[in-house]
Amino acid sequence: MVWISSRWKIVLMLAPALIVFSLFVVYPVLYSLGFSFTKFQGFGTPEFIGLDNYAALGDDPFFWQSLQNTIVILVVSLVLLIPLSFGLALLLRRAIPGGGGLRALVFGPAIIAPILVGLIWVFILDPKIGLLNRVLALFGVAPIQWIGGDTLTPYAVSLVFIWSSVGFAMTIFYAGLQLQPADVLEASALDGATGWQQVRHVTIPMMKETFAIVSILMITNVFKIFELVYMLTGGGPVHRSETLVSYMYFVTFTKQQYGYGMAISVIVTVLGAIVSIGYLLLSRGRRTA
Amino acid sequence: MTTAMSDPGLRTPESGPGLRTPADLAHERPAAPRPVAPRRRRRRAAMATGIAAYLVTFLIVLPILWIALLSFQPSDKILSDPFSFAELTLDNYARAITSLPLLRMYGNTLLIAVVSVTVGTAISFTAAFALTRMVFRRRRAQSATRFYLLAGLAVPVYILLFPVYRLDLALGLFGTYGALILPYVAVSIPFNTLLFTGFLREFPNELEEAAIIDGAGLWRVCTSVVLPLMRPVIATILIFNVVYVFNEFPFASILINDPDMVTVSLAVSRFQGQYTVDYGGMMAAATLVLVPQLVIYALFQRQVIAGMTVGAVKG
Repeated sequence: MVWISSRWKIVLMLAPALIVFSLFVVYPVLYSLGFSFTKFQGFGTPEFIGLDNYAALGDDPFFWQSLQNTIVILVVSLVLLIPLSFGLALLLRRAIPGGGGLRALVFGPAIIAPILVGLIWVFILDPKIGLLNRVLALFGVAPIQWIGGDTLTPYAVSLVFIWSSVGFAMTIFYAGLQLQPADVLEASALDGATGWQQVRHVTIPMMKETFAIVSILMITNVFKIFELVYMLTGGGPVHRSETLVSYMYFVTFTKQQYGYGMAISVIVTVLGAIVSIGYLLLSRGRRTA
Repeated sequence: MTTAMSDPGLRTPESGPGLRTPADLAHERPAAPRPVAPRRRRRRAAMATGIAAYLVTFLIVLPILWIALLSFQPSDKILSDPFSFAELTLDNYARAITSLPLLRMYGNTLLIAVVSVTVGTAISFTAAFALTRMVFRRRRAQSATRFYLLAGLAVPVYILLFPVYRLDLALGLFGTYGALILPYVAVSIPFNTLLFTGFLREFPNELEEAAIIDGAGLWRVCTSVVLPLMRPVIATILIFNVVYVFNEFPFASILINDPDMVTVSLAVSRFQGQYTVDYGGMMAAATLVLVPQLVIYALFQRQVIAGMTVGAVKG
């Protein structure tokens, strides 16, 4: 294809993407990194303070709280989401009348804007007007502070995250199940394996990669949870339900401590990058396999 | 077929019930790995899985149904007696429609989505074509450029919010649609490049070479030969990005200040402040936003699911 590869043609083809990407992705990342070493309140010149912002994070109880919440959401979501979505894929793989429609409905929450997901769940989880406490009240259970209390919000956020992702994860597992070679399953069935033994000893080992992919995708998505917290509690009371990202948003745009906010966002990026590198290594391994 | 495989009870000979004699069955039994489950039990098991599947699906859909139900309840009923269906009303919708700038919300979001997705797809395509099909004088430069664009996959948008806000101010974009369109284009480039280069690499370039020999230039090769072949990838990319832009909130919340320029997500984020205790109005408004999205999803369900999960499956 040398004939169409004059230098100016190559430049012309590459330039638009390179310019927009460099200006609105690469430059901002460097800009944030630079600002994270400064003290800047939005006016005057940023004052270089070295690693002081990062040191200050260590003493910031709200930062630790938001890190802890993020980890709680991460652990609860993964522990419940992976088995639930895999189980759902196994269930919906059976020949069920209207199965295709059910799969579409289960996937549905994944296309709803996170901000709207948050609003919908306010009406389920709100201690006063929420559906959950209403239903529990029918059984004589006293109202529970699912959101806005001292402890439960991160768990509630996990629940909502699971709701919005379970269909997505199920679809990936379902696709993986369709790719399973039928003869292996047949052979194991002839050897007398029960349904559960097949799943345990044949299906799951064969789908290790799919499990890894779903896990990594879900981990990256947990690090992006922002709208749910924004709608459910706004991070309150007193930052008790903040995630890393929502706390960064608060520090940067409400408190306008730009340097400090950028330090948090650098940390979020580094955590995310570690996960992404794991993902890349994994998909590379898959290609050579 | 899959059912049969996952249930060993079904794996025994099934050449039609009428053809088997009791002797046959007696003869088979010792050979079969497990006792044959009676038909009735099998059917009951199938019923149980069916019921379980419908039940789980119902639970997942329930929150959406609840919102839709509340949107027909008078606001005071929502507080006092939400489970009664005695006084369903359309009043909430009347209030929601008059208080929501529906046309504006959708108009703004659609405009931003169409422009940013079109531009993002087009410039990612030309870049991907250059990175896979054109001959660089230094091969290293080619793969390094590809890696540079793909590295963007690891960048969370949150680190971009504040710098992009400053950049929009500095470039004089703030207050225009461009303030939001350009970052949307930029953050779509890495994923688009991943899919486009992935597709082009697996795809032989003989057709293109033939076209060039027949005298086609770069423009003709791209528009008449390559693009038609890439329709499935382009559909995937369009769906993925349109869903992203329609649902995006963090950028919009920072970069849009003008009430006339609100996007759908931005409007929804203000419902709680706007309707405060008018829960009925808030739910009607939420339903008005939800329904069009669900209708479009229902129409293009297959493509949407494929478009949104392809990143995970293709890697």
